[in-house]
Amino acid sequence: MGRTYLGEFEEIVLLTVGILYEDAYAVAITKEITKQSERSVNVSAVHKSLYRLEKKGMLKSKLSDPESKRGGKRKRLFTITPFGKTALDDSMDLRMKMRKQIPELAFKLQIV
Amino acid sequence: MSRRVTIPRIPHAFFKWYCKSERYEEIHGDLEEFFYERVEVVGLAKARLFYLWNVIRCFQPYAWKIPQSQNSNIVMFRNYFKTSYRSMIKNPLSSFINVFGLAVAVGVCMVTYSFMDFDYSTDRFHEFKDEVYLTTFYVDRDGTEEQYGKTPAPLGEMLRQDFSSIKKVTRVHDGNAVMKHGDNVFHESVRYVDPAFLEMFTFPLKWGASSSLADPNSIILSAATSVKYFGSEDPIGKDIKAIFNDTEVKTFKVAGVAEEFPKAHIIGFDFLVNFDNLLISNSSFDLTDWKALVNATFIQVEDAGNLKVIAEGMEKYRKLQNEVEQDWAITAFNFVTVNDLHLGSAEIREDISYDGSREGRVGLPFIAAFILALACFNYINIAIVSSTKRLKEIGLRKVIGANKRLVIVQFLAENLFVTFLAGILGFFLAATVFLPWFDQFAGIGSEFNLLDSNMWIFLVSVLVFTGLVSGIYPAFYISKFEVVKIFKGTVKFGTKNTLTKVFLSVQLMLACVGITFAVMFAQNSAYQAKRDWGYKQKETLYVNVSDRSVYEQMKMAVEQNPDVTSLAGSSHHLGKASATTIVHLPDRQYEVRELGVSSSYFETMGIELENGRFFEENRESDRRSIVVNQLFVENLALTEPIGAQVKIDSIPYDIIGVSKNFHFNNFYYENLPTIFTVAEQENYRYLTMQVRSGAEQSMYESIQTQWSKLFPETPFQGGYQEDVWVGFYEDLGIMKKFTRAIAIVFVLLASLGLYGLVKLNISGRIREFSIRKTLGANVKNLAKNILSQYVLLSIAAVVFGAPLGHIMITAMIDMMFPDPRPFGFTGAAISAVILVFVLVLVISTQIMKVSKANPVEGLKVE
Repeated sequence: MGRTYLGEFEEIVLLTVGILYEDAYAVAITKEITKQSERSVNVSAVHKSLYRLEKKGMLKSKLSDPESKRGGKRKRLFTITPFGKTALDDSMDLRMKMRKQIPELAFKLQIV
Repeated sequence: MSRRVTIPRIPHAFFKWYCKSERYEEIHGDLEEFFYERVEVVGLAKARLFYLWNVIRCFQPYAWKIPQSQNSNIVMFRNYFKTSYRSMIKNPLSSFINVFGLAVAVGVCMVTYSFMDFDYSTDRFHEFKDEVYLTTFYVDRDGTEEQYGKTPAPLGEMLRQDFSSIKKVTRVHDGNAVMKHGDNVFHESVRYVDPAFLEMFTFPLKWGASSSLADPNSIILSAATSVKYFGSEDPIGKDIKAIFNDTEVKTFKVAGVAEEFPKAHIIGFDFLVNFDNLLISNSSFDLTDWKALVNATFIQVEDAGNLKVIAEGMEKYRKLQNEVEQDWAITAFNFVTVNDLHLGSAEIREDISYDGSREGRVGLPFIAAFILALACFNYINIAIVSSTKRLKEIGLRKVIGANKRLVIVQFLAENLFVTFLAGILGFFLAATVFLPWFDQFAGIGSEFNLLDSNMWIFLVSVLVFTGLVSGIYPAFYISKFEVVKIFKGTVKFGTKNTLTKVFLSVQLMLACVGITFAVMFAQNSAYQAKRDWGYKQKETLYVNVSDRSVYEQMKMAVEQNPDVTSLAGSSHHLGKASATTIVHLPDRQYEVRELGVSSSYFETMGIELENGRFFEENRESDRRSIVVNQLFVENLALTEPIGAQVKIDSIPYDIIGVSKNFHFNNFYYENLPTIFTVAEQENYRYLTMQVRSGAEQSMYESIQTQWSKLFPETPFQGGYQEDVWVGFYEDLGIMKKFTRAIAIVFVLLASLGLYGLVKLNISGRIREFSIRKTLGANVKNLAKNILSQYVLLSIAAVVFGAPLGHIMITAMIDMMFPDPRPFGFTGAAISAVILVFVLVLVISTQIMKVSKANPVEGLKVE
């Protein structure tokens, strides 16, 4: 799958969707990313990635029931598609594969 | 938390506006969830800010509405825009001429707007400008009712007491004083007003309180005077000494400093003190005397309907006044609002406002309209001729299904595009080049206020108007072409069209009028600059003296100086001061200017005698004699002036001499009938001396040194007689520069337009010329051929334009100068020559180009 490209932030969003399962919507994802990575994330950035991933076919979504804590509005819940899973795995594999190819010497030299 | 937690309304509306409806619910749901949560954690205010921030952050393509199905009109206009752009790029020269010409015109219009706006907003920043009225009165002057802006002294106080509908009254009077604070000593003008002045004229104060005017020991300064005496610090509470008439000294406490006055003001002040101080500075001033006049009396009346009642009630004042003052018998009172005062003050004599921009109000719109018209005609001509190059495009559009209307719309849209481009450039030109340049002359410190919505409305309407006017004919003209003829190549063009010819000649005519304008103004300026004053202003110096002893001491000091050839005292002085007097003849009474002088004044000033004799020293009978000027004799049609008797204040005077006419004021002012009377020595206020030619400067310095020795406490006042017409020659120089610049703009526009036109015309006929050349035509033949097209038009333009310009400009100059240069037709002739020269130059460069070109290039077909 050479043509699927996954940006760093997109990858994190994709992972977070996986972690949250069943309750993966923008607000929760934003909070989860903030919690896990300790970096400040704006909900808008999350929206952008979510819609993009959905367009790429890596996520699918459905609307939930209305909730009072959000002014009686429904929320869009995302789940990973099989294609999304493959893309995620490919990306992870690629990294691991390449990481293993770095000779230990390279790190040692850097320490000195 | 008592406040209800609600989503901030404005950001929410913004969000709703940009967000597409199918995503609105989910995205806004997220934002709301965050919002409510944050309210709990950080409080409402911060949460609202966060919300706003989020709304802004979400303003991204994923949330945007996509415009509903593309409107075919939009597609069409987008295409027009593209074609306009392309055709502009393709013909950079004619586009440049069009855009630049229009831009210059728009720039001039903007400068005009800014000037008019300034003029019309003068003194209109006062909150009660519509409720505060200047009281004026009418006096019968030799058959005509003249309106005066001054007021009999008792009137203000009486108005205040007698009418409950008058809310506030302020009298305004001005006087001179020497103001002193530490080492800063200057002659100044002090304004005496009632405490209500600052409530009626809402000048805001930077420091202090306006109520301090009620205290006669307080003084309020303008921002500029405050800086002059105290620098940038707050002077409240400091002392400033006023010396009236060199004798009365009073110390005032600074109680207020006004903010910088708006630039568009005429009514203002340097020093403001309570009106009661007038009696200290001038103890002889009698506020109950109906003969005494104060400079102005303003009343504030809320309901304009009450004015009529007040005017009727003032009838009794009229009677009181008429009893004591027959020469100035008031016939009626009138009220003028502060709002109308500046623009109306040409009609009111001796009022505290003035209108110095009448010529600008007439001249500038005239110039702007002319330049705009010229630019429009340039555009029309070039658009018609350049449409040759776009025939195929028009044909194609028509074949595809564009009807006439659509072609018209296309070309109008194109033209609006060009005009708006010109508008942007023009505004830029106006703001960076024209306005700063213009301001050097006008000195009004005007600049564009970008928040002035009227200015933008004006700019846009000028652009739309210009775009439509200049575009409508070319658009109709082009839309009429028949498709078949276009493709056959038989469309007849340009030169065969009468209307085009008319346009071209109108264009040249406008240019001719414009150039005439400049030439004639320049001629008039040169003439006015060289005119004789009617007396010797060059070798004369004058010194202001405050009383007899100062006069005597100064006289003693300079008398012995060998450079002084003649010396005189006077209570009035040419170019500086005079009185207005009513002369009674058996059958009429006549208003004249009066100058009280000594016998040697005539010789000292170089006033020439026409008839009879001047005053003689110590001749007692001269006290009952007057010398008059020629104008006086002419206006009253006196056949035997010498020995004639007139009455002034019911005392008979004999006319003993007639002087030649001289100019009291600069040449903007009309000469007035004038009489000279013998001044009492007590009343001498000026010491005038004639000095040996070449010794003026050394003498001036010597007087100043003498003065500072004799009167170290009082600053010196005086100068060269040549300098009394402050700014007049400067003004003439400015006018010369200004009209020259206008002429350059006219010539530039005309030649640019012509250049573009001739070039297009010739390039359209390049094949014809090439054939002519291969068949043996030389430069002469070609020139003849090309010139023949333009000769008749140019002649027509000059024949109509030059006289038209002559008539218009003569009328304009007549309005500005009471006796302008006697105009021959040289101005019009010179402008015709300039125009013809430019025409020949432009056309000949094109002829040269054609004659040098290789005919092979012209005959090649792509």
